[in-house]
Amino acid sequence: MKISPLSMLAVLGALAFTLSASLALTADNWSGRAKSDNVFGMMFGDGRKLFANHFFTMADVYFHSGYYPSVFDQRATEEKEIISASHGHKDSEEDEKNEDFLGKPKDWVDAFGRNFRITQHTHLENHNEREILPWLRLAADLDPQKTEVYTVGAFFLREHLNRPDQAEVFLREGLRNNPDSYEILFELGRVYHDAYHDLDRARNVWQLGIKKFMVAPADRQKDDKLIFEELVVNLARIEDEAGNYGAAIDWFHAAQKVSPAPDALQKQIDAIQKKMAALIPVTPGKLY
Amino acid sequence: MTAILQTQKLRVEYRSRDFRQGNKIALNGLDLEVHAGEVFGFLGPNGAGKTTTMNVLLGFVPPSSGGASLFGIDVRQPIARQRIGYLPELTYYYKFLTAEELLRFYAKIFGLTRAETDKRIAELLKLVELEHAAKRPIKSYSKGMQQRVGLAQSLINNPDLLILDEPTSGLDPLGRMKVREIIQRLKEQGKTVFFSSHELGEVEAICDRVAILDQGDLKAIGTVAEVSAGSANLEQAFLKIVGYQPSSAS
Amino acid sequence: MSKIFALAGVVIKELYRRKDFYVLFVLTALLTLGAGMVNFFHDDKIVRYVKDICLLLIWVSALVISVVTTARQIPAEREARTIFPLLAKPVSRAQVIVGKFLGCWLATGVALVVFYFFFAVVTGSKEHFWPWAAYLEAVWMHWVMLGVVIAMVLLGSIYFAAPSSTSTITIIVVGGILLLGTHLKIIALQQPEPMQFILTLGYFVMPHLEWYDLRDFVVYDMGLVPVRAVALATLYAAVWTGIFLVLAWLGFRRKNLTT
Repeated sequence: MKISPLSMLAVLGALAFTLSASLALTADNWSGRAKSDNVFGMMFGDGRKLFANHFFTMADVYFHSGYYPSVFDQRATEEKEIISASHGHKDSEEDEKNEDFLGKPKDWVDAFGRNFRITQHTHLENHNEREILPWLRLAADLDPQKTEVYTVGAFFLREHLNRPDQAEVFLREGLRNNPDSYEILFELGRVYHDAYHDLDRARNVWQLGIKKFMVAPADRQKDDKLIFEELVVNLARIEDEAGNYGAAIDWFHAAQKVSPAPDALQKQIDAIQKKMAALIPVTPGKLY
Repeated sequence: MTAILQTQKLRVEYRSRDFRQGNKIALNGLDLEVHAGEVFGFLGPNGAGKTTTMNVLLGFVPPSSGGASLFGIDVRQPIARQRIGYLPELTYYYKFLTAEELLRFYAKIFGLTRAETDKRIAELLKLVELEHAAKRPIKSYSKGMQQRVGLAQSLINNPDLLILDEPTSGLDPLGRMKVREIIQRLKEQGKTVFFSSHELGEVEAICDRVAILDQGDLKAIGTVAEVSAGSANLEQAFLKIVGYQPSSAS
Repeated sequence: MSKIFALAGVVIKELYRRKDFYVLFVLTALLTLGAGMVNFFHDDKIVRYVKDICLLLIWVSALVISVVTTARQIPAEREARTIFPLLAKPVSRAQVIVGKFLGCWLATGVALVVFYFFFAVVTGSKEHFWPWAAYLEAVWMHWVMLGVVIAMVLLGSIYFAAPSSTSTITIIVVGGILLLGTHLKIIALQQPEPMQFILTLGYFVMPHLEWYDLRDFVVYDMGLVPVRAVALATLYAAVWTGIFLVLAWLGFRRKNLTT
């Protein structure tokens, strides 16, 4: 029997289509990768988290305009802290700028080679901080569960680039991917409070943050004591701003339990109590 | 007569890859002279040492002992090759170049002026009948055309001595005839041609003198008539000299 | 010199008549333009990541072009047997080596100019800033480094018959130097003897190609490297290029081309 090439091709095509249609459902269960909701998840599987870490570090490299220790320098000295939402504060910046991972040249090769390396410790400023954003965006796409990406990105958008709207969008996205993240809720509260001066919304998200913290596993609570303190102290401050002195004092008392500097908080309590002395006493309510 | 190509007790030994076999002798004290204006056929069965002789003359292989010279200059000096042209067997010229570009490149190697180069290229393309394809990349050429462009490059410097290694190898009868015609024309122009070939008929037709080499030894040298003496033709003489014994079946 | 330039001319013609360069250029252009069109947080002034991506692609492309073009020069001449009519002319093997080197180096230089011009146009159109002196310095240092690489490949191509072997080995060596060159001594100090001695020795005797990578200066707008340092680095590269070319010539001079 003689079969023409065209009909052979048609038969093979029909066979391929039939097989793909019948196997599609089964294939869905072969790999979790295919079910991933983004293209990076499909491409790299769990390996995407490695890339996400790399891109997050790239944001820090950019923030330092290339003055950055390599993995070998890091091993030789101490582990470097990667970019955080505390970057950009003048006092911590000046301390960090004094860090010199390069040290003195080790030999003539190193000494001459420094002509071709960036050896000045600088931080981006004057709205050039925007240059770190693509890496944060990529890191978030690669690992949507990496909460610090959202908080760092939102911090720079709000504090340095005057883009609270974009900060809020980014944080909302982070919250959708990490509904239990009190870190993101804390940063969202800062957007409402610092940028929009919306005390009610700030209070709501910070209170929600505290609720999330209280139901978090014990080991996470232990690690994130500082975030809890920040949440509580900020709540105390907005209550103070709103004139709810009793609530403010209660929040400060709660903060004192976890704070490494309870005396400093006591001074703030004392200051509020002085203000209260001139007013009608307020009955403290249930906090959480 | 002036000898423009000369070898004296030329010996070439190759180290065998198998150490038990010792060295292989490719040429065993070859004495050869080619005179100005003659067409010299260099014959021998495969492995006789023809290509090795050419490789020494062109400086590709150093002699183990003895010597070779072109125009009286030791072949180890690059300048010895200033007045020669060489056509190797089965060469695939730079396929991304056109024939004209290829010839221009080789002309630059010889340090020809632009005017000389233009003139030479025009003459040579006409001689090898490639004018129509001069601006086409060599990759589009047939085998015969490639061999003719090879012949043209060997003549770019208007050489006094041409060394041709199996110039008609792999060509169809028409291609062979064209190459033969070109050699004839070069002979008429007074060029010296030293060429190896397995085509004994064409050697007989165009050579003034021939040499027959076998297993590194020079077996015979002289005019075609001298070498063929006592045999029906050059082919019979060649077979006799290299010791060919026809089987009883044939 | 005219013989060397004639040899170089053929290599340059080969580069622009083959598809390698165009494919890599189009790929670089598409990826850069694609990256440049992505909008991050509705901020159209973000540009450094585009510069970074484009320069990385340029470095990879230039390395591939220079290595692949050079690696096939001598083996291709031998395979196609064009080495015989060439050496049958009054040209020495040293001139062939230098001509091939010059051709590959100039061809790579032309490719670099095209790549960096594209880079300047794309990034400049986004940030409206053209630090030409910094670009020129970066291109020069890049080109000088590729000179060392080309000489290294030429040396490899004398000993390895297959261009793919030469290309692979050189890309690994060059990539290793670019990534680890600066840090080799730190790595050495973390190793036990005799590895510590071997790595320290390697650190001092290897060509420090990583010096020629000025991408960070361009990406972060960090100004110019001192001219004296660039001049010394150029001299250093010229010495290494010379070493590799002499070694290549010594190998090629004794090479039996007929087997």
